[in-house]
Amino acid sequence: MSRIWTLARKDLLETRRDPLSALFIVVMPIVFTAFLGLMFGSGTDRLSVVVHDADRGEQSQRLVAALEGSAAVRVVPKSAAGLESWVADGRAAAGLLIPQGFSASVKDGRRAGLVVVSDQTSSGAQAIIAEIRAVAGGLVAADRAARVGVATAAKLKGEGDGKLDSEARQTEITATAQRLATQAMAQPAVTLRTVRAGAAAGQVPTGFTLSSPGMIVNFIMFSLMTAGMGVIMERRNGTLRRLMTTRMRRDELIAGKMAGMFVLTFFQQALLIGAGQFLFGVDYLNDPVALVLMMIALSLVASSLGLLLAALLSSEQALVAAVVIVSMSVSALSGAWFPLEIAGEGFRAVGHVLPTAWILDALRDIVTRGAGVGDVLSAFAVALAWATGLFGVAVARFRLA
Amino acid sequence: MSIVEVRGLSKRYDPPKGVLAVDDASFSIERGEIFSLLGPNGAGKSTTIAMLSCLLRPSHGDALVDSHSIIDDPQAVKSVIGVVPQEIAVYPDMTARENLVFWGRMYGLSGAELQTRVGEVLELVSLADRQKDRVDKFSGGMKRRLNVGVALLHRPSILYLDEPTVGIDPQSRRSILDGILALRDQGMTVLYTTHYMAEAQELSDRIGIIDHGRMIALGTHAELVRIVGQEARVDLTVDHMLEGMVERWKELPGVSSASVEDEHAELLVDDANAVLPRLFEEAAEGGSRITSVNVSEPNLELVFLHLTGRALRE
Ligand SMILES: Nc1ncnc2c1ncn2[C@@H]1O[C@H](COP(=O)(O)OP(=O)(O)O)[C@@H](O)[C@H]1O
Ligand SMILES: [Mg+2]
Repeated sequence: MSRIWTLARKDLLETRRDPLSALFIVVMPIVFTAFLGLMFGSGTDRLSVVVHDADRGEQSQRLVAALEGSAAVRVVPKSAAGLESWVADGRAAAGLLIPQGFSASVKDGRRAGLVVVSDQTSSGAQAIIAEIRAVAGGLVAADRAARVGVATAAKLKGEGDGKLDSEARQTEITATAQRLATQAMAQPAVTLRTVRAGAAAGQVPTGFTLSSPGMIVNFIMFSLMTAGMGVIMERRNGTLRRLMTTRMRRDELIAGKMAGMFVLTFFQQALLIGAGQFLFGVDYLNDPVALVLMMIALSLVASSLGLLLAALLSSEQALVAAVVIVSMSVSALSGAWFPLEIAGEGFRAVGHVLPTAWILDALRDIVTRGAGVGDVLSAFAVALAWATGLFGVAVARFRLA
Repeated sequence: MSIVEVRGLSKRYDPPKGVLAVDDASFSIERGEIFSLLGPNGAGKSTTIAMLSCLLRPSHGDALVDSHSIIDDPQAVKSVIGVVPQEIAVYPDMTARENLVFWGRMYGLSGAELQTRVGEVLELVSLADRQKDRVDKFSGGMKRRLNVGVALLHRPSILYLDEPTVGIDPQSRRSILDGILALRDQGMTVLYTTHYMAEAQELSDRIGIIDHGRMIALGTHAELVRIVGQEARVDLTVDHMLEGMVERWKELPGVSSASVEDEHAELLVDDANAVLPRLFEEAAEGGSRITSVNVSEPNLELVFLHLTGRALRE
């Protein structure tokens, strides 16, 4: 046992000394996570809505402020012309035009109109419309509730015409009532979450939520290069054979090599998950136990696959070619570059032959839905089955010289 | 009792059709001696070492190393042997000390014993002052010394060295050979393989000559040279080699063998002084001139030539 760990530690020391390893293990994945994340969703999960406030009244400003506070949309103020062109270019999913007279209508209790410019077919636009409806409706409702409150108070005081002592007093009471009503409305009475059938996460993730888990899988696969190269170099410089002239046994040697790869990829995952959580705001820590299970699953798959490549290949060139092909195709098929939901059924089915597709789904479920241990067990089982198979073939084919 | 007893050891790669790399070898190595296996490339030296290191399973036969069978108890054999591979099998991106500590752990050492032994070995191979330097900064000779040092960590009873001087400069070779002689003087038993006749002659207490997997002669240097008796070797060069000249030379009295390669010929003769004039005559008769002659007294190379009809090329 101590020999296995000594060998694994030696491998990790050599990896740490390799000036290129930090680049491939940490720097590149973080750069790619940032790059793809920005590409997928301008760095946020919120949908952009361009807003033009032509009214500039008290109520319209409150509406804009409320939208800015919304977790679902991101407000981009624009002129009326800018609004149209942003929506036309697809830079924003929808535009909101607040017409002149909006505040006056709300104040007089009349029907207040808003204009939404959007591409009707876009799901983003649907979501934005729903959000505007909820926010604006809430505001107007609060205003009306305040008026009703004031009127009620006046009535109870016996002044049938609804007027209070003085003009100033009335304004003050109305404001207080409004504030109380707004507070009361701040907690929505009903929340709705739309879940589309078929899609595992119920929504197509965007931004860093999409890119971070994907790049973790991608670059863990890429680390097979470092791991496999360790074995190939040892085979070539004769240390693998020399190890067998000490009292180390063949199974200890293989276990040591696999342990080194496991620790390397696990540590890499921890670093990248840390970067995802604290640099990119991806919510990995929803369920730490489920997360660690998936980290173990991914490291098991990666280290057994690395061992197999090292067992089958004898030259550095062959390993480089194999790792590039394997990491690229496994990443693409598993949905590391783009979610499989948008790729169609066939692609999705093919992808889910691979354990990495299961792991990636599970990771995304953890960060978007807070999936727990129960939700990721099937992914763990698939990964374990794959790792066992790969490890078995690797052990059978492992050569020392 | 001998420390190594080899009994009818054979190895055929990829049976049944593959190369018979070692063919029924039997020999023994005494405690405290340097025993060399001398033979050309492909003779089966490394295969023999690999079997005695329990890296390769013999096709037939067995060997006892310090009375442990290489077949029945490889772990016990491994604990008493130190193997120095032909290649420099250490980690270049680690320091000399880190390497020794790692290999010491692999040999089962730990704690204070490990640290003490690493210090001793560093002194032994004269690397104590460079122990904190990475091996890839070392000269070829220093790497070689470390390569030997690794095999000494666990105080083996016998050290195997497989062609440790191939492809290194004369100075490093000298320091390796001196190191091996020094180890022998401290009581170490050494199994050494080489295809350099001169090395075998200088180092060895006893030499086994191996060719095509067969042990064709075994003994001390003096015993082996006696095989060729008083025969001397004549190397000569002619300005052009005539057809049939070698055959005519062979038939001369006192010539026991002759071989030719381009304008060069090698002959084994019992009395060089008597034969040389006849050689000149034969050449002159055919219209050829001998342009250089070299006579050498019997040595291992001659023994090999005598036994196989081929030269043991360096
Ligand atoms: N792994 C192998 N598989 C098949 N043949 C081999 C293998 N290793 C060595 N041989 C053959 O066995 C013979 C002896 O090789 P080896 O023991 O390496 O000789 P030496 O060390 O004396 O040069 C050679 O003919 C060589 O080609
Ligand atoms: Mg050899």
